[in-house]
Amino acid sequence: MKILMQLAIILFICLLGEVIAAVLPFPFPASVISMLLVLALLLWGPLKIYHIQKQADFLLDNMGFFFVPPTVAILGYLGYMEGKVAIILFICLVTVFTTFAVTSWTVSAMMKYETRRKERSRYANSGESE
Amino acid sequence: MQTLENLNEILYSPFFGIVLTIFAYQAGISINRKAKHALANPILIAVLLIIAILLLFDIPLEAYQQGGSLIYLFLAPATAALAVPIYKNWQILRLNWKPIIAGTMAGSFSSIVIVFGLCKLFGLDRSLTASLLSKSVTSPIAAGITEQLGGIVPIAIAAVIFSGITGNILAPFLVKLFHVDDPVAQGIGIGTCSHAIGTTRAITMGELQGAMSGLAIGLSGLFTVLWAFLFSFLL
Repeated sequence: MKILMQLAIILFICLLGEVIAAVLPFPFPASVISMLLVLALLLWGPLKIYHIQKQADFLLDNMGFFFVPPTVAILGYLGYMEGKVAIILFICLVTVFTTFAVTSWTVSAMMKYETRRKERSRYANSGESE
Repeated sequence: MQTLENLNEILYSPFFGIVLTIFAYQAGISINRKAKHALANPILIAVLLIIAILLLFDIPLEAYQQGGSLIYLFLAPATAALAVPIYKNWQILRLNWKPIIAGTMAGSFSSIVIVFGLCKLFGLDRSLTASLLSKSVTSPIAAGITEQLGGIVPIAIAAVIFSGITGNILAPFLVKLFHVDDPVAQGIGIGTCSHAIGTTRAITMGELQGAMSGLAIGLSGLFTVLWAFLFSFLL
């Protein structure tokens, strides 16, 4: 599908996301609603991956580029952050460790639990005792 | 004198900011390819280059932002595109949905709780805390959350990029330190703590790790929206 049309589809879904965000009784980022809309439309079928593939690849491949200008804007907050930069960096560093540990341990533990549960039910089904 | 004033007006053309950003980002990508090191992050290089140029030539930030804000407009479509990697990994997600959902939920929750606790401990004010809560998730979602909480988007994005670069550098070390053997657990862990920048490292550790890390970007982002909403009452 033509790249312009692909862009139109994604932007239209973003517009829908903003409409939904405006109607929702609680705050929720419109961009995340758009992400869920794209996923739902792909899974339910009306939207095919080739409808948006090229445009999505363009956005994903150049993701970093879109965040250069808002990061440059930090120039306006240097005074505000004075004396707090070390604290901010410390908080970021600590949570890289903790977030990785909590996430991967939870996944590992759940996987072991699931495998054990499946094995147990297999034994039960075949009438063998453990 | 007349020509100088005209030149100043040209700096306020949106094309100035757009062209400068593209050149700076391209320079960042070239340096990154040659250096092959996470510290040579293209966003980081581009930002430093632009800031240096603005300061050196005494160009006001507002002039740059005429074009910059047009680029920032792509925040929403870039976030929407994150659905594509989730869709492509749907089969793996379906087979392992309990561990993956539980891991990204727990990880993103721990991130917000610990950031919130440390901000309180160090006595950071409300808007700075709001800017750091979403530091573990990908920039487009972090920007959305920070806007909603009344934080400062540029600080949020800087914290996100710093976390990403840290995760990228430390990924193989973290896997050993915490004895994580399962490739799915490794990938989900890397993606949840260091989003897209960490994912580029996860890809080099294995195909499954890369796919899982990419999947975790969208999922942990989604859960962080929910947790941030709960924490907005505590701010």
